[in-house]
Amino acid sequence: MIIEIWTKEKYAGNEEQGFLTRMAHAGLKAGAARLSRLYRVEGVFSAKEFDKLGSELLTDPITEHYSLKPGKIKLKGGYRVEIWLKDSVTDVVGESVKGAVADVLGKDPATVRFGHAYYLTCESGAKLKHAVSKTLVNETVNKCRIEKL
Amino acid sequence: MNPMEKFNSLNAKELAALDKACGWSLNAEELAEAQRQFRRMGRQPARGELETIAQTWSEHCKHKTFSGPVAFRDGAKTKKYRNLFKETIVKATRTLNRKWCLSVFTDNAGIVEFGKGGKWGLAFKAETHNHPCAVEPYGGAETGVGGVIRDILGVGLGAKPVLNTDTFCFGRLDGKKRLPKNALSPERVMRGVVEGVRDYGNRIGIPTAAGGIYFDDGYLLNPLVYVGCAGLIPVDKIDKKVIPGDLIVSIGGRTGRDGIHGATFSSANIDEETSASAVQIGHAVNEKKALDVLMRARDLGLYNAVTDCGAGGFSSAIGELGSETGARVRLEKALLKDTRIEPWEIWVSESQERMILSVPKGKLKKLAAILDAENCEYCVLGEFPGDGRLLVTHGEERVVDLPMAFLHGGVPNFEKAASRRRVKISAPAPARPTAGYGRALKSLLAHPNVCSRHSVITQYDHEVQGGTVGKPLQGRYGDGPGDAAVIWPQAATLDLHDFSGFAVSHGFNPAIGRIDPYQMALQSIDEAVRNLLAAGADVSRTAILDNFCAASPRDPEVMGDLVLAAEGCHDAAMAYGAPFISGKDSFYNQSKDADGREYPIPLSLLISATAPVEDVRRALTINFKEAGNPVYLAGATAPGMGGSVYNELRDTGNNAVAPLDMKAAVKLYAGLARAIKAGCVAAAHDVSQGGLAVTLSEMAFSGGFGADIDLAPARRGLTGTELLFGESPARLVLEVAKGREAEFLRLVKGLPVAEIGYVKEEPLLSVSDGSERFFTEDIFALKDCWKRELI
Repeated sequence: MIIEIWTKEKYAGNEEQGFLTRMAHAGLKAGAARLSRLYRVEGVFSAKEFDKLGSELLTDPITEHYSLKPGKIKLKGGYRVEIWLKDSVTDVVGESVKGAVADVLGKDPATVRFGHAYYLTCESGAKLKHAVSKTLVNETVNKCRIEKL
Repeated sequence: MNPMEKFNSLNAKELAALDKACGWSLNAEELAEAQRQFRRMGRQPARGELETIAQTWSEHCKHKTFSGPVAFRDGAKTKKYRNLFKETIVKATRTLNRKWCLSVFTDNAGIVEFGKGGKWGLAFKAETHNHPCAVEPYGGAETGVGGVIRDILGVGLGAKPVLNTDTFCFGRLDGKKRLPKNALSPERVMRGVVEGVRDYGNRIGIPTAAGGIYFDDGYLLNPLVYVGCAGLIPVDKIDKKVIPGDLIVSIGGRTGRDGIHGATFSSANIDEETSASAVQIGHAVNEKKALDVLMRARDLGLYNAVTDCGAGGFSSAIGELGSETGARVRLEKALLKDTRIEPWEIWVSESQERMILSVPKGKLKKLAAILDAENCEYCVLGEFPGDGRLLVTHGEERVVDLPMAFLHGGVPNFEKAASRRRVKISAPAPARPTAGYGRALKSLLAHPNVCSRHSVITQYDHEVQGGTVGKPLQGRYGDGPGDAAVIWPQAATLDLHDFSGFAVSHGFNPAIGRIDPYQMALQSIDEAVRNLLAAGADVSRTAILDNFCAASPRDPEVMGDLVLAAEGCHDAAMAYGAPFISGKDSFYNQSKDADGREYPIPLSLLISATAPVEDVRRALTINFKEAGNPVYLAGATAPGMGGSVYNELRDTGNNAVAPLDMKAAVKLYAGLARAIKAGCVAAAHDVSQGGLAVTLSEMAFSGGFGADIDLAPARRGLTGTELLFGESPARLVLEVAKGREAEFLRLVKGLPVAEIGYVKEEPLLSVSDGSERFFTEDIFALKDCWKRELI
């Protein structure tokens, strides 16, 4: 199960601007951007329990939304970039959240991995791929997927 | 047949091929020596044995280049060194023989006395994590910070870390050079490194409060990441000794396949095919658990010795602790991250956040209770038997069975050739900048090696532990550039009535090194000492660390630069009475791109210095404090624009390095120290990158005051450009308290100290030379140029 968390639009200006600047440094002119955090939680949990993790553990209800179905953010004609650490790489955030999940639900998940998703509109997929490899992804430690929305 | 199984009969070419395939980075002589030893034993080596030899004999662990013999050719003369490190750096420390040096060059960090009453020692260490950061900047920087913190945890019976430092070298962010295929962009490297240092330091709860950033395209493929840590240790916990019969206990992180071959990786140039397995991501929370356990267990006397698992993993740490007693290790007892791991991999894996303790059998139960309470994992790997033999097994499999004497004494060392590099020096008088001095000053303030580092500094928690008195950002608006961190380590001493502290500063000058490596070493030490003085520290008790980074030592000119810089270190340490207490070197910072072109770094020497601050409440900051206070320039300005930032912006054709007069500098600093101690000085700032005009600007805009400056008393036949933008060493600008001027002048009588103006309310910095006005600039406009967002 992947739980996706994103900042409510009215609070997201800073992180979006920072991201757009970063992409501009890498030579990509992006029109709009949204960012989210991804938690892949693997374990024998019910839908209700996953929902509890999303609402009570991983989300700040004042500033953030969550969804158990990733890709809920809509950006017409845009792209979605999903980045994870490779499974062989230590994921410190994932490990910390794993402990927290066990505390909240009273049972251990098999694994928890942490990742990012970036939604953006831009001129071309090829340029996006180039910018992503230049600034967001290091193939030594990351795995990445880009899809057209 | 596997070539490993016929190791003893391989020829030199086959040995070299095996070395490359296994990633050992052993040279032909070392491979031949290993082969000779196994032939003498009458058996083939096990993989684990060859891996252990590769780790133990690696440049990272043995420092073969610096501690080996060198023949230095300078024209017709040749000077021979049997051990360059001992005959320069260590020699100065031994000759100075300071009583306040409690432990030097023998442990994971150097230790000097701290505070009143002789109860505490201050441990200080800096090292580099360059190669991992070139491959994966975030993980490389994180594990670098984690590693140097473990050095402090592993010094004596464990010191409590109270300060982290970081100094980075990157390629120019605005550089136009086309990057080779395998290189990450400097911006990418910088962002990753800064985030790595931030995340590790902030999560573990140690302030990151001193350091610097230097940009030069020499670092395009080989960024340098120097990380340092200082900690406090009770003096009765400095000695450690493994007792035969003690258990080998590993605490902290688990062992995995990550980080195989980090130590041998450090002994190789990075190229297109560099293995990614030498990269890890750190886990600060695990290290914090180990830290908490160690501090509790140390004070209860639950172990006899401790060291960190750094480069080489168990192989290096257990080998080091058991170098006299031998060690019996059962690898099946190790806690693993991954079961798909070979026994030899468990032995050499450099998985992070692990410490090795030597624990008396009778104390294991008490130690285990603390480990459980802190939720810190541990395992008992074996014992130190006292027979001087290293025996490592995994179930029935014999992984290593070697005498310690061979491992630690067997490495062959051969003489390296070194020669002096010839640099043509020209010294025409530098011309006045065509666009005027004011415009030139603004360009200098915006230069990447001068401008504000706030966008990096503010990412770090420099306040955690509540003892950062001298902050990296200072002044009325909390954004001026501090010269040194001043730390009041009450979180370690728990004594709120003792205001003893210490200052930490750096000196770094590779641009001078390109012209004159000897002067680079002198001036780096001078700069570090001057920064301490500007913070109000007692520089008569300065202790220093050397961290050399260089390209391939197979190049005689690289070795020649190293020899000259090492001699400079010796001479400056002697002149300033400042012993080296620890150090580290990193070679092979030279990369080949996909087209086979070599990219060597310039010789880079980071000097980290520390000195006591008797009362942290009286520490100095750089910003102007009060209108009407007189401003003094201390130190004589010498001609020469070599190595200056100004020369990088507008080549004056003058590459002569202004030489350092160490005798005069020491005398000057002693006088200034008396004036500072007497409370005559309100602000002090060193003159370094960018020169005097930059120093004055920083003091002015950090304080929100202007100043009227007349440099006529300091001119001495120099051009305006040399006077304003030259970087001649051993100079400081001081703001003297109005009512204390007479006392100040009495204390500095006979020294090159000249009044050059006064602080004023109006926010304008006016600088002239008698009747010639150099410039008048609004201090906030100057600040706007300086306060760039680096990332």
